[in-house]
Amino acid sequence: MTSLQSTKINILRTFYVLAALFCINFVYSAEGGPCKDYGECDEFKYSLNDIESLQRGVSTYINYCYGCHSLQYSRWGRVAEDLQIPEEIFFENLVFDKSIKPGDLMIGAMPKDSENWFGVTPPDLTLVSRYKGDDWIYSYLRAYYEDSSKQYGVNNLVYPGTAMPNVLLSLQGNQRLVCKNIPILAKNGGQKRDQSGNPITKEKCGFLEVEEGTGKLSKEEFDSLIYDLTNFLVYVGEPIKATRERIGWYVVFYFLIFTALSSLLYREYHKDYN
Amino acid sequence: MQDKDKTRRKVLIGLTSAVGISGLPFAATPFIAAWNPSAKAKAAGAPVKLDVSKMMYGQQIQVAWRKQPVFIVRHTKESIANLKLNLPKLADPNSDEIIEPYKGMNPSRSKSPEYSVFSGVCSHLGCAPKYYPEVEPKPWDATWNGGFFCPCHGSMFDIVGRVFKGVPAPTNLTVPPHMFEGTILTIGEDKEL
Amino acid sequence: MFGIASKLFSWVNDRLPIVNTFERHLSKHPVPSKVNFWYLFGALAAVTLIIQIVTGIWLIMPYSNTEEQAFSSIEYIMRDVDYGWVIRYMHTTGASLFFAVVYLHMFRGLLYGSYQKPKELVWIFGCTIYLAMMAEGFLGYVLPYGQMSYWGAQVIISLFGAIPYIGESLELWVRGDYYISGITVSRFFALHVVALPLILIALVFLHLVALHEVGAGNPEGVDIEEHLDDDGVPLDSVPFFPYKVLNAMVAIGVFGVVFSIIMFFFPEGGGYFIEMANFEKANPLVTPDHIAPVWYYAPFYTMLRAIPDPLGGLIVMASAVAIFFIVPWLDRSKVASIRYKGIYSKIAITLFGVSFLTLGYLGTVGVTEVRKTMSVICTVIYFAYFLLMPIYTKYEKTKEVPERL
Repeated sequence: MTSLQSTKINILRTFYVLAALFCINFVYSAEGGPCKDYGECDEFKYSLNDIESLQRGVSTYINYCYGCHSLQYSRWGRVAEDLQIPEEIFFENLVFDKSIKPGDLMIGAMPKDSENWFGVTPPDLTLVSRYKGDDWIYSYLRAYYEDSSKQYGVNNLVYPGTAMPNVLLSLQGNQRLVCKNIPILAKNGGQKRDQSGNPITKEKCGFLEVEEGTGKLSKEEFDSLIYDLTNFLVYVGEPIKATRERIGWYVVFYFLIFTALSSLLYREYHKDYN
Repeated sequence: MQDKDKTRRKVLIGLTSAVGISGLPFAATPFIAAWNPSAKAKAAGAPVKLDVSKMMYGQQIQVAWRKQPVFIVRHTKESIANLKLNLPKLADPNSDEIIEPYKGMNPSRSKSPEYSVFSGVCSHLGCAPKYYPEVEPKPWDATWNGGFFCPCHGSMFDIVGRVFKGVPAPTNLTVPPHMFEGTILTIGEDKEL
Repeated sequence: MFGIASKLFSWVNDRLPIVNTFERHLSKHPVPSKVNFWYLFGALAAVTLIIQIVTGIWLIMPYSNTEEQAFSSIEYIMRDVDYGWVIRYMHTTGASLFFAVVYLHMFRGLLYGSYQKPKELVWIFGCTIYLAMMAEGFLGYVLPYGQMSYWGAQVIISLFGAIPYIGESLELWVRGDYYISGITVSRFFALHVVALPLILIALVFLHLVALHEVGAGNPEGVDIEEHLDDDGVPLDSVPFFPYKVLNAMVAIGVFGVVFSIIMFFFPEGGGYFIEMANFEKANPLVTPDHIAPVWYYAPFYTMLRAIPDPLGGLIVMASAVAIFFIVPWLDRSKVASIRYKGIYSKIAITLFGVSFLTLGYLGTVGVTEVRKTMSVICTVIYFAYFLLMPIYTKYEKTKEVPERL
C-alpha cells in the first residue's frame, strides 16, 4: 500500500468519526428544551468585549436584582476593574453600603429576610449563566405574563410557577398571553386561501404580547435591557472568559507552529530509514 | 548525506528547539503566578483606616495591617525636640540603609509632623519592641530619652523607630505607605505615591 | 570545571546504571521502523499523565476539602487565584483527553493484537491502569461538590448497596456518613491525590518495563526480533532517539492544538467535560432533572441502566471492564494484526466499535423505550465481540504475514 493510499484511508476514517460525533450531537440537541412552555429558548450571543453593554448590565443588576440575589463569589473591585468603571464612580453610584471595600465579596443585601417573603431563599446568581445557560436567562426574563391565579399576579412561560415576581414589570409593562390568527401554509410554502382569495387562518394561543403604553420601555428597549443584563451575568459567571478566549488564539497558534516545525524535522529524519 | 541536507537539518533543529524552549516560560507562568497573593489575600490585606484625633499626646497604639503590627505614636512637642539628644546613639539617623518612603519630610518620618507610623516588627528577628516613652535611666540604657526596647534580644529604637548603634537589629523600623485625610489615617495606601 | 563534573558523573555512574539505563530504555531502545498514528497515543497518554500530576499538585494548594468550602474553593481558584483558571481547566480538559487518548490506545491494542504472546503482561498492566483511571476520575469528579458530583457519586455509591448482605453497610462505610458529606469528600480527596496517583505511577512503570522487555509491536504484526543485524539489533528497527521522539513531538504538537482549543474555547466541552449542573452547589434535597455521567463512563453507565436488576447491572458493568483482562486468551488467531485477520474479525471489531460509541451516546441522554432496546442490543454485541472471539478468530481464514516490516 502506498503512503498516499493510506493517508486517504486515514482521512476517510477521521471523516467517519467526525460524522458520527456530529450525528450524536445533532440528535442530542434536538431533545426537549429547558425553556418548557416557551418552546425553544431564544438564542443569546454574548459579547463580553462590549464593555458598555456590561456596564449597563451591572447597573440594571445592582438596581433591580442585587437587593435579593447576591453574587457571592465575585468581588466589587474586580467588577469595576473588568468593566472599566473608575472605582470612585463605581462606588459612588452602585455601592449603597459605604462600609464596603473594593476587595469585598458581593454577598448580597438581605438574603435572610427574603426567604420569608418568597417562601424560598432567592438563589445566588454568580453562576446562573453556567448552570442555566444564557439562552435560558434571556428567555426567562422576557417570558413573564399576567396570571391572576398566582401570588404576585404573574407567571412565567420558561419557568412555570416561578417564585419570583416580575421586578421589571414597570419597565416592560403588562405582558399577556394572547391568541392570534395564523395563516395556514400550503404544502408548497405559500398561503392557503379560500375561494374569495382571503388567507385561511387558524387560531393559535400562547403568544406573549405587551399591552401598549403600560411600560416605560418599548419592546426593543426592554429586550436590549435584558440583553445587557444577561451579558453581565455571562461575564460574572466566568470573569476571565474574554481573556481566556484571547489568550487561546496565541496558544493554538503556538502549537500550530510547533507542529509544523517538528513535522518538517521528523520528515527530514524519516529519510534516514526509507 | 549532502551538505545541503545537513544544513537544512541543523536549521530545523535550531528552529524547533527555539520554538519549543520559548514556550516554556509561558507554560511556567500560570504555575508561578498562582503563588502570588490571591484576590482574597489582597482583600484581607487591604488598607486600614482609623481616626487618630482621639489619641493622647505621647500615646502609642498598635494596629494590624496585613496581620502585622504597625505602631502609631502621637508625639508631644518636647519629645520631637528631644529627638536630637539621641542622634549620637543612632546607627542610621537619615534612614539611608532602607527604603524610606517619606525621607526628609518630617522628623517623625511620617507624612504628619505629629504622628509616627512605622512597622512594629523588629528588624532583627521579628519580635515586637515595647514602648518606653519616659526620659529616665533604664536597666538597658542609663541615658534613656524615650523610645522602643525589644525584650527578645535587647534592640533599641528611638520614638520614631530609628535603630541604635551596637544592638542586634540591623536597620530602622520600616515606614509603611500611609496618608492622612484630616485626622483619618490610612495605612497601606497613599494616593500621592 | 568539566573535569570535575565528568569525574563526579563517572563516580555516580559506577554506582548507579545511568548511562546503561538511558541507552537501553531511551536513546538506543529499538522500536519498529514502520508504525502508524495509532502508535502515538501511548506517548500522549504519558504526556497527559504528567499534565494531570503537575496541575493536580497546584490545585491541591487552594482547594478546600470541607463540605462548606469545597464548592466555593473551586470558584476561588477560578476567580481569585492568579491564573487559577488555567490550571483548573488544564486539569479538567486533561482528564477528558486522558480518557480519549487511552480509549484510542486500547482500541489500537485490539486492532493490532497488542496483547498477544508475549505481551500479555503489558496488556494486563494496561487494563489495570485503565481501572485505576476510572476510579481516579470518579473520585476527582466528586471533589468540586457540585450537583453532578453529588448525584453522580450517589448513583455510583448506591451500586455498592446492590451487593447482597453487606451492601447497605458497605455503602455507609464508604460514605462515612448518612449522605455524601464533607467526610466523604475528604476521604475521596486523599485517595484522589495520594493513593491512586501512586498506584497509577507504579502501574505505568510496570507497563513500560514489561513493554521494553518484550518490545513494541507494529501494525503488520511482524516479529522484528526474527531478523537481527550483527550487533543483535533488529533490522526493521530504528533507535528511540531521535526517530520516535520526533514522531512523538509531532503528535504532541497536534495534541497541543486540540488541547488548547478545548481548554481555551470550550472548557465545558458542551457540557460533556464539565457538566452544567456541576456549577450548582451540591444539594441533597434536589435531584437535577437529568443525571448523566461524564462521557468517559457513559458506555458502562448505559449497560448498568439496560439491566433492570441493580445487582445484575453491577455485574454486567463490572464484567464489561473485567473482560478486557482475558483478551490475550480469547484471541486464538495465528496473526496479530487486523490487516491479516479474516473477515469475521473485521466485522466483529467494527460492530464492537459502533456499539461502544452508541452505548456512550445512550449514556448521555434520557431513557426511552427505543433507546432501552438499543442499549440491550449494543450490550449484547459488546460482550459477543469478546465471548465469540475464540471461535471466530480460530476458524476464519487469515492472510500470510510477511517476514519483514
